[in-house]
Amino acid sequence: MALSAALLLGGIASAQKVDFEEYTLDNGLHVILHNDSSAPVVVTSVMYHVGAKDENPERTGFAHFFEHLLFEGTENIKRGEWFKIVSSNGGVNNANTSDDRTYYYEVFPSNNLELGLWMESERMLHPVINQIGVDTQNEVVKEEKRMRMDNQPYGNFLTAVKENMFKNHPYRWMPIGSMAHLDAATLEEFQAFNKKFYTPNNAVLVVAGQIDIAQTKEWVQKYFGAIKRGEELKKQTFVEEPITQTIKATYQDPNIQIPAIVTSYRTPSMKTRDARVLDLISSYLSGGKSSKLYKKIVDEKKMALEIGAFGFNQEDYGMYIIYGLPMGNFTLADLQKEIDEEVVKIQTELISEKDYQKLQNTFENRFVNANSNLEGIAENLATYHLLYGDINLINNEIELYHSITREEIREVAKKYLNPNQRLILDYVPSTEKAQN
Amino acid sequence: MKKTSIVVFILFLTGFMQAQDRPQPKPGKAPVVNIKKPQTFVLANGLKVMIVEDHKLPRVTYNLTLDNAPYAEGKIKGVDDLTSSLIGNGSKKIAKDPFNEEIEFLGADVNFSSSGASANSLSKYANRILELMADGALNPNFTQVEFDKEKAKMLEGLKTQEKSVTTISNRVTDALAFGKKHPSGEFVTEETLKNVSLADVQANYQNYFVPENAYLVIIGDVKYKKIKSVVEKLFGKWEKRSAPKLTYPAPENVAFTQINFVDMPNAVQSEILLVNTVKLKMSDPDFFPAVIAAYILGGGSESYLFMNLREKHAWTYGAYAEIGSSKYDSKLKSTAAVRNMVTDSAVVEFIKEIKKIRTEKVSEEALTNVKARYIGRFVMQVEKPQSVARYALNIETEDLPEDFYENYIKNINAVTPEQVQLAANKYFLVDNTRIVIAGKGAEVIPGLESLKIPIFYFDKYGNPVEKPVLKKEVPAGVTAKIVLDNYIKAIGGEKAIATVKTISMLGSTTIPQAPSPLTFTNKMDSKGKLMVEIAMGPMSLMKQVVNEKGAYVVQQGQRKNIEGNDLAEMKASAIPFEEVQLAKKTGIVLTGIESINGSEAYAVQNGKTTKYYDTKSGLKVAESKTMEQAGKTMTQTTNYGDYRAVKGVKIPFNIIQNVGFELDIKMSDVKINEGVTDADFQ
Repeated sequence: MALSAALLLGGIASAQKVDFEEYTLDNGLHVILHNDSSAPVVVTSVMYHVGAKDENPERTGFAHFFEHLLFEGTENIKRGEWFKIVSSNGGVNNANTSDDRTYYYEVFPSNNLELGLWMESERMLHPVINQIGVDTQNEVVKEEKRMRMDNQPYGNFLTAVKENMFKNHPYRWMPIGSMAHLDAATLEEFQAFNKKFYTPNNAVLVVAGQIDIAQTKEWVQKYFGAIKRGEELKKQTFVEEPITQTIKATYQDPNIQIPAIVTSYRTPSMKTRDARVLDLISSYLSGGKSSKLYKKIVDEKKMALEIGAFGFNQEDYGMYIIYGLPMGNFTLADLQKEIDEEVVKIQTELISEKDYQKLQNTFENRFVNANSNLEGIAENLATYHLLYGDINLINNEIELYHSITREEIREVAKKYLNPNQRLILDYVPSTEKAQN
Repeated sequence: MKKTSIVVFILFLTGFMQAQDRPQPKPGKAPVVNIKKPQTFVLANGLKVMIVEDHKLPRVTYNLTLDNAPYAEGKIKGVDDLTSSLIGNGSKKIAKDPFNEEIEFLGADVNFSSSGASANSLSKYANRILELMADGALNPNFTQVEFDKEKAKMLEGLKTQEKSVTTISNRVTDALAFGKKHPSGEFVTEETLKNVSLADVQANYQNYFVPENAYLVIIGDVKYKKIKSVVEKLFGKWEKRSAPKLTYPAPENVAFTQINFVDMPNAVQSEILLVNTVKLKMSDPDFFPAVIAAYILGGGSESYLFMNLREKHAWTYGAYAEIGSSKYDSKLKSTAAVRNMVTDSAVVEFIKEIKKIRTEKVSEEALTNVKARYIGRFVMQVEKPQSVARYALNIETEDLPEDFYENYIKNINAVTPEQVQLAANKYFLVDNTRIVIAGKGAEVIPGLESLKIPIFYFDKYGNPVEKPVLKKEVPAGVTAKIVLDNYIKAIGGEKAIATVKTISMLGSTTIPQAPSPLTFTNKMDSKGKLMVEIAMGPMSLMKQVVNEKGAYVVQQGQRKNIEGNDLAEMKASAIPFEEVQLAKKTGIVLTGIESINGSEAYAVQNGKTTKYYDTKSGLKVAESKTMEQAGKTMTQTTNYGDYRAVKGVKIPFNIIQNVGFELDIKMSDVKINEGVTDADFQ
């Protein structure tokens, strides 16, 4: 008790404030600049508001496919030269795709800022999308799917959860998409997708690092200013009926021997307060060795090899997923029962003052670390602006977490975590005999 | 005509102008790089402490590293991993639960292993977290209870990776390249893990957790003077000791290039790994040429391997080469995961690219680009507090000259194409390479055989095995009758079987849906009566009976009579040794030889049922039955094993039935001509 009293006096985080400047070009491109003079490094990144959820259900995998295609070259960068330019100028680059957005970035020594801006503007202005690129990347993506999912233990776990959790919403498929759809897609379809979504008014440009603000603005205007505004997009909305009866499903994985139990609840958009409350619940249940589920099921009762809970937070809906791998003779049903008991406790009792304070400390540490490197700051700035619609969250989201009460935690658990609102997935070894 | 050409001309011009408008920008003036050094001090017990103050964020990280020489764990391989998972479970002063609770309450992270510890915390809790880290690391409390728990988890954890093609490929590669007695080649198995005792863990800690070559790195929002006195107080009492110096056999590369194949029937991609061992220290004069050669071969997305296997052929998501550099043995490996169909072609291209970097000088352009990349990374990293600490640590642990990083850019720029080629020839031993492939034998072996590279086969633990059976013809002269007769002979002969009037089998099994083990009872007599029952305690879950009157099944209280064809089939198989009858029947077909659980077996088909008999022992190893259920054709398989003699007749004590999930039944009591009455079949 002495300890927690001292902590209460300790007060709120004193994390460094992330300073930034933002403005919008005439073509609609939003620009965010963050100056950090501590090291001669600069990040140039573009986040496009296009992800797997913007795809035609008959053409899934497009957004991720573009993550490959848009490295193929531009009118001024020959095919195969992209990576060479980056690395021969001392930089690194990559991209990633989610259901909600696609993110491209380069990190260069600070004397190559202009190069980074030029490359991203080339990609936005006139990427070359031709048959040879499509054909090559089609095969590469298939290998990526085999390597990441089909040849890995538990590699299709999220695929199985998503297809059961969503009926209408495009969240029902994975960003990697359907290989049959990609095979069927024509070059014209890829070109049309590019024209529609990869436009300045559907993107945000972030420049972060050791930069001269005035010079940066000049270059941004020079390289991005002339790019034409694209069509005005209106995000489609997809409504999922609430889950009112437990969904039961089984998935067979030929790469595993130990089954997994997966429970998944549908949760609201990551922009909502409730989604943040669920983040706290997740940490309470399975964050660390002293969390409720780990301590009871793994440590004390030795029923599971591993147990975890995490929020899969997204723009339209989220999922709250709890999973476990049973030990020895314990069954999936045994684990489910133990997990459920703990969930019922959060719904009926208030968590202790001490546990509440622990959550606050954990999130404070997380918040400080979230902005501890430049790449992270750049991506957070883009995400808060583009997906959350409030860039200031980069400095004040922690206050939101601090304002959540114990009562709210109980109410939110009651609202979303009921047995009839979820999927129970038995993720089991394949019964087809694959003898090793 | 004229008009058209004008349009084309204009379009061309626009495109041209646009391109001219947007030339690739030139780099600005190179940033000035400042190389900082941490503040350091050494304790009397040998611990070296490095502190980098960084007040940008209110946080601190601690890193304790023990730079011990590698050693082989041998029969108790896994003792080091177990020590890692047990250390820091509380201390002699604070019990495990309050210890973990306090760390997590402070929102911090502390991790322990047998070779050090690390932590990150808000700086307001900096002292307490360092205190807890020191306490957990220096006063560990190894108890039998925790030991048993961690060991059980590790045993179970082994299973999660048992079918992982990637894991197995890496394991076999290291075992073959370094040898299983080498610290880098040995691996944990169920057997070695079971050999480890609590005393072994204590001895391991005692021997190796010593300050002789220990480094504590502190980065963040702390003041040197204040934290120095905290460190002295916490680590000053750590007893001065050195770790034992053990030797192990040096690895040897193979005399000729060869394929080492591991059959993984579940693989959808082949993991290809070309490997030879090397000795390359960071302080070696050809260190930079060697890493640059490896980078040009397979370091990034413009390397020889990547441009060939991914960009040109699209056979893989990525193809890479990597050279290890260390004071100890390390390896050069080139890898890719490719789809089954192209495995052999990919091997050819791998060899081609390695030969290329050995025989052709790299282009000035490629070399300049790679140098720029290394220098660029260095420039971006060098001023970060983590790098300041890491570079200082490397100078100590890798025995580098004090000015290694001051001369870094200069030394990289000095590398010539000739040096790169020399290094490639010295380290990329294309004629002494193992090409380890883990993949689906049935689909990839024929292609690999056509390469005319010797192939050796290994199991998933790196033990040599025979070439796996892919598809096999039945030897001439063998018939279904001969197979059935052999089976009868193998289990004891027709005479012994004739004395069997009744059989009673009792066993148990577990299923995912039931909380406790289930009992299994199977009774039958030679007159065609049968009873099978699965029960949970006193409650019957499933019961099946065949008697003179007919047959029925009771499932969850519902009784269903069996009639028609199903009844006839059930009756025919309701005798102890059906083969005696089958051997006399016509229409029984020997369809071929198949692989059942890794062994060859004859497949004998009778209507919808196929029985499998081991080609060597003659025993029945499996049975599969196709049936219609809800309009779908399903195959139900049963495996038989653990044959033991009961009154001169061999009976399987293990039956594994696949009914949508595996029902693994182990017999505890099998009786012949005892324990069965007619009442059992009512």
